[in-house]
Amino acid sequence: MALLSRFLQAFALLFLVIAVSAEHTSNWAVLVSTSRFWFNYRHLANVLSLYRTVKRLGIPDSQIILMLPDDMACNPRNAFPGTVYSNADRAVDLYGDNIEVDYRGYEVTVENFIRLLTDRLDEDVPRSKRLGSDAGSNVLVYMTGHGGDQFLKFQDAEEIGAWDLADAFGQMWEKKRYHELLFMIDTCQANTMYTHFYSPNIVATGSSEIDQSSYSHHADNDVGVAVIDRWTYYVLEFLETQVTSVTSKLNLGDLFDSYDESKIHSQPGVRWDLFPGGEQEGRLRTVVDFFGNVQNVEVENANATEPGSLKEDLAEIARLVEKWQKRDEEYADVLSARNTTDDSPTASLHLKPKGRVGPTKMAEDGSWGKRLVGITVVGACTAIWIAGSVLGRKSV
Amino acid sequence: MYSRVSMRAWSLTSPPGNFPHISNPRQDTLLWSTKHVLIMTTKTGDQGPPQDLASHADIKSSAKSAPPPETPAAVQTRFRVIAAFWAVIIFLGFPIWWKTTSIYRASLPIEEMVDWADGKACRPVFPLDIHLAAPSMQLAEAQHLLRTTQHTLDDLNEFAAHHLRLKLANDSTTSYGESDLGTDVSGEVADTALTVRLLPQEDLVGPRSELHAAATQLDVFYPPNQVPAPSSSNSPISKFIAEELQGLYGEEKATIAHILSGHTAGLASTSPQLAEDISRRLRRSMKYAETYHLSFSLFTPGSMPSSWDIEAAVKEYVSPLLKALSPISDFTVDTQVQLYANFAPTAPKPEFDEAEAAWTLRKEDLSAFVNAAEWPLNPSIGSGPTINFILYVPEPSQSPLIVKENRASSWIVPQWGGVFLLNPTLSTDKTSESNPAHLSRDALGPAFMTFSHQLLTLLGTPSTPASLPLRLQTSIRIRAATLLLSASSTMGSLARLTESLPSIPIPATVATSVSTTISHLGSTCSNLREGRFGAALASARVAETEAERSFFEKSMVGQVYFPDEHKVAVYLPLLGPIGVPLVVGLLKEVKRIIAGRKAKRAAAS
Repeated sequence: MALLSRFLQAFALLFLVIAVSAEHTSNWAVLVSTSRFWFNYRHLANVLSLYRTVKRLGIPDSQIILMLPDDMACNPRNAFPGTVYSNADRAVDLYGDNIEVDYRGYEVTVENFIRLLTDRLDEDVPRSKRLGSDAGSNVLVYMTGHGGDQFLKFQDAEEIGAWDLADAFGQMWEKKRYHELLFMIDTCQANTMYTHFYSPNIVATGSSEIDQSSYSHHADNDVGVAVIDRWTYYVLEFLETQVTSVTSKLNLGDLFDSYDESKIHSQPGVRWDLFPGGEQEGRLRTVVDFFGNVQNVEVENANATEPGSLKEDLAEIARLVEKWQKRDEEYADVLSARNTTDDSPTASLHLKPKGRVGPTKMAEDGSWGKRLVGITVVGACTAIWIAGSVLGRKSV
Repeated sequence: MYSRVSMRAWSLTSPPGNFPHISNPRQDTLLWSTKHVLIMTTKTGDQGPPQDLASHADIKSSAKSAPPPETPAAVQTRFRVIAAFWAVIIFLGFPIWWKTTSIYRASLPIEEMVDWADGKACRPVFPLDIHLAAPSMQLAEAQHLLRTTQHTLDDLNEFAAHHLRLKLANDSTTSYGESDLGTDVSGEVADTALTVRLLPQEDLVGPRSELHAAATQLDVFYPPNQVPAPSSSNSPISKFIAEELQGLYGEEKATIAHILSGHTAGLASTSPQLAEDISRRLRRSMKYAETYHLSFSLFTPGSMPSSWDIEAAVKEYVSPLLKALSPISDFTVDTQVQLYANFAPTAPKPEFDEAEAAWTLRKEDLSAFVNAAEWPLNPSIGSGPTINFILYVPEPSQSPLIVKENRASSWIVPQWGGVFLLNPTLSTDKTSESNPAHLSRDALGPAFMTFSHQLLTLLGTPSTPASLPLRLQTSIRIRAATLLLSASSTMGSLARLTESLPSIPIPATVATSVSTTISHLGSTCSNLREGRFGAALASARVAETEAERSFFEKSMVGQVYFPDEHKVAVYLPLLGPIGVPLVVGLLKEVKRIIAGRKAKRAAAS
């Protein structure tokens, strides 16, 4: 009997361990468009659509890093100023009234992107521009732009190689900057971009095989350009029509099964082998594990009395407060006692209150010296010039 | 004709002394001979070695004009020119290329770093000094009691890294509870974790204990007749004390075991309930930071209350806790008042509950309560994380507002902060009721006490034992263990990174940081071994900061990876046109010199 209970206990513990390891504590999303110019309107629309979706599913702006290399809403060619649409029906203005772009325009570079992932940023970079994920964070990385075999172009000026991306994720894993990572990419030959990944716990999916193009879905004749890419369109269709709330139980398997090559016009790919448990285990991760936000709010029971509960703590804090007040009073007493016996020899040791440190004037000294040097230099130059011109005239 | 000439010119670059066409003048026409002359004049540099003069004589005889023999001065000049070119390449070009393309990599103590990461360099132990004060006992009796208690404790203990050491307190050191956390950062002596005072008390059946809530002291009352005789090996008092201590430090022990084992499994004796509690606490607590920003915000959907007595409230309710927490982290406080703060349009609205006579929010909707998109909550100040505390005063029309399930008015958002719903007494006007315009210090009391509690929870303070100083001490030890592990694992990550990415530069500052980290890790480890936990935490903090700095060094970005074929593609167009004439010139010169030597030797023999 004892043995059985021991076994049960061990089993319970094991189960607990599994449950714990499967859990993540926060969600982050890195959404990157990499192409500039008006005719690449659809790439920005792709990213903004994804942005809306993750925000709808609860990831706050502080945990979304949005990189937009161009400003389509304010482009002079935009017939609908201030808006970006991803559908010809123009039902949803993606730009909306509440959008936080973290990296804009020429800030979207390969270097900044890699710095963002590895957090090798200057100390003065604000937290809104940093990926603050930790060992408990699930990270969604979505990229779109123009790419080729194992590279993705940034801004028509540079490109990120599949190796660089793999190394960046490798470093993230080394520093425990993600728990699980979903990598999505919509570009030509997209599936080549994740071939070099080597760090564990990554599920990667792309829109097209090597030597295949990714196509745009449709154009809006009034906007004048294509407004969304095919693969992103059908991913969004799944997310918007089926993942209606954060409580959705649909999993990654369902999402990837929804790919229809006849609609997408290219062969999307999925890479499972880095995920522990492979495809079987990876398929079970819910979509909202990556697109939604976990927030297990803990309501405090005002009536509980077990140790560490609100009541207990309040009592303890109250005692602490009391104690400090007493100490402050004692200190004040000591101080006042000291002040009254001001003529005692120890009074000289008493620290004087420091005078207020006001702004200091810039040092005056040396400025005349500098002026003198300046005048000398200017004078010498003038003299040389005059001498040169006089001598030159003589020789002529 | 022109094309033939150029073709000849090429063939002339074949080794001297082997001029098949030239040595067969029979094939030559007149046209050819003139051509040949032309070639020879343009290619004076290709003069063969002396023994070829015979064939040159042939040419001369067959052709009308021949190039004049090269003067030794010209040969000398050519040699110098080629030598000068190569000197520039070797002594200037090559070093510059090497210097500009090489990546500076400071040497790191890789093996040592990996040892730290693998736990080979240090096995953290936590010996807790517990002072036993028995003012009314004989010295011999007390020592005997100490021995037996220690023995029982050691028998009970199953986690060797964390053990309790009993010591007999001198009368001079009975100033318990003076320093708040019983820690001494600079001291040479071990911190006293707890003082057990043994007090005889009549009319008791068995021993009884009482934990001081505001000091690190445990009073044990015992019936005087139960004092163990020096002959007995066991006594109810020693057993009682041992079990009591075991109980006090049970959670801490389980937590440290959990951390040291890498979050996989705790101790076998840990109940699943406790294990669940521990992992939940570790999950919701903030990641360690040197500095935390505490942000207290007053949000209200209307225009009232527009002021609050925040300075006094913080000073009274939060500062004492912050002072007590100061060995663990630094804190900065900022506050804000935000009026007309609305819920997110998609957030579920509070509902009126008739039974409770209050507006209620469902528990599952609480995560959408904070309108993260519109409330200015995440101030980007400094480098540390922000812990947000939100005081929400509902509209008069929706007051009082509570959580539906348990009538609670506060909740914790893990790793983020806390929320408190404050329902002030409404001031009823003639026409309508409204919130008070000002919240006094006393009105803020409950909210700020709750925030203090939430702060403790968010910093991962354990929930037992029921004495705040003891809990803070425990949290010092837990933080020291966590930081030791995290800085060690960062060292390991950096070592692996250095080895796996040969293209990444490693500046000298990283090497400095690494050596600082390792030395501080060493001192953390030795401080832990000697039971000086305050000092251990202090050096662990330095180690962690330096480790983070070394890993996140800004210049360590392996800029762009180039496959080898890309490198060839970059270098070939540049080096091809320059390299070919230089290499050919060099080869010819070398051949000439060798041939000259041979000729000399032949002439000498």
